[in-house]
Amino acid sequence: MLATKTYTLRSGAKVKQPFNKTYIVALIAILLFVASGWLVLQNKGTLKLNELGTILKQLFTPTQSDAFNIHHTWKDYFSYLLTAEIREALLDTLRMSFVGSVVGSVLCLPFAILCSQNIVKTKWIYVPMRFIINLVRTMPTMVIAVIAVSLIGMGPLAGIIATSIFTFGIMTKMLYECIEALDMGPFEALQSCGANKTQAFFYSIFPQLLPTYIGYFVYNFEINVRTSVVLGYVGAGGLGVIIQANMDGLYTRSRVGAILMLIFVIVVILQAFTRWIRGKLQ
Amino acid sequence: MFKNKEQHQIKKQVTQLNDSMHVSKDVSDKYNQRPKKWIYNMVITVIIIFAVIWTFFSSGITIRNVDFATQFYYLWRGFTHPNTSFLFDWSKGGVPYLTLETVAIAFSGTFLAAVLAIPFGFLTAKNVVGKHISKIGELLLIIIRTFPEIVLALVLIRVVGMGATTGALTIGIHSIGMLAKLYAEAIENMDPGPIEALDAVGANIWQKIKYGIFPQVIPDFLSVALYRFDINVRSATILGMVSAGGLGAPLIFASQSWNWSNMSAVLIAIIIMVIIVDAISSKLRSKLI
Repeated sequence: MLATKTYTLRSGAKVKQPFNKTYIVALIAILLFVASGWLVLQNKGTLKLNELGTILKQLFTPTQSDAFNIHHTWKDYFSYLLTAEIREALLDTLRMSFVGSVVGSVLCLPFAILCSQNIVKTKWIYVPMRFIINLVRTMPTMVIAVIAVSLIGMGPLAGIIATSIFTFGIMTKMLYECIEALDMGPFEALQSCGANKTQAFFYSIFPQLLPTYIGYFVYNFEINVRTSVVLGYVGAGGLGVIIQANMDGLYTRSRVGAILMLIFVIVVILQAFTRWIRGKLQ
Repeated sequence: MFKNKEQHQIKKQVTQLNDSMHVSKDVSDKYNQRPKKWIYNMVITVIIIFAVIWTFFSSGITIRNVDFATQFYYLWRGFTHPNTSFLFDWSKGGVPYLTLETVAIAFSGTFLAAVLAIPFGFLTAKNVVGKHISKIGELLLIIIRTFPEIVLALVLIRVVGMGATTGALTIGIHSIGMLAKLYAEAIENMDPGPIEALDAVGANIWQKIKYGIFPQVIPDFLSVALYRFDINVRSATILGMVSAGGLGAPLIFASQSWNWSNMSAVLIAIIIMVIIVDAISSKLRSKLI
């Protein structure tokens, strides 16, 4: 399989078949998979396959219990979503992600400029700046939320901090990559007319950047809604708090299922909305 | 004669100058007719500012009555003095082993998803199954993608039990959503030429797949899977918070007991791990394309 064939052409020249690396890549990937699978299997619990059906039934059907005389109907199942508790949590989630996106995407502007190679030509500025941004980006939103919760306590503020730091990191990276790909002609023209760098930026780069910037903002808002749905699980406010509170109760688990359906609907609507906006921007 | 010529030249220059003046007048007229969007921009800015302010005041943000200075002092001291005995503890409960476990969870989960997503990808590609079935496939993938990873882990913990295996399975199932979507896009962007050519020389379906489809889509598939591996390394650290293995468990314990030095040890491990994995995968991806 690994041996390469040699073909003799009619002219007498010999042609070697190029060495196919696919098999070696596949072999290495499988070996790594076996090794990591072995490592993962070192730490496993007891398998209870029949639990899967039980828990899915608890999640996605109305609660039924003869012992506690609970006989919910589908109406009860979905009417939970109309309660004030859910409304507040949902609003919290949306607010958290909205404020986080706005704060992060405003903060990222100066840093994106400092990171871009074609505006700041000094290597001593943009290389350390990029390193800092990369450090910020290594932190998952959940981990930032954990730190924020233990610093300032539970509540949406921790979620806002987490989402804004996440948005800041990812927006800076996307923006400076976008700035570097821009047409620098207008910028140089303005500079040669006597504009300083700030003026040149606002009249040449900014108008080019604005549609992309808004598109990235909306995209980040969508990501933030998805992540802040579960941020509450570590106490950072929003729907996650309710998921965490109801997940362990045997008879409250159906609420989690209802919330999951709500999340699905919201994400689908949001996706359609962002696609519409980004289509309009182009 | 000479004078006449000079006069003629001056006249010409004056008319040129007049022309250019005329043009600049045109330009300034056009400039005055430019779309005045400042009202529109103003309204949007005001709406956004008001929304932010309203959000801040209506969401009932409460700050715990804590001495911020001391809190930040503890944070700073913890982060400058990481618990080195925990950071270099080579046993099963130490940071190095747990970091390795996190990477293993991410890798095995991504591998599972990368393999499982292939049939989903083909069943969602419009040029393979047609428009209507592709819609059904897309809906299924959206359902998989929107199911939060942590909730999926909580469900799987009941089935598989606590531990790293649950984390790997969670990542394996959750990643199918995104991977299959991007696979389908790669399949849809495929060039039909080679397949038609293979058809023309009488290849059977397996030969068509082997020589026509695979060489085109495999680089895309691999680069998508590597990209997802980057994301999964990050989410594997989160899954530990619900006791699905990896670095998340010591992180959440440390945060709940305000043990900042343990926390910084874990954070250092996360940062190093993510930077290394990012570097490797971006290098591999640049080789693929």
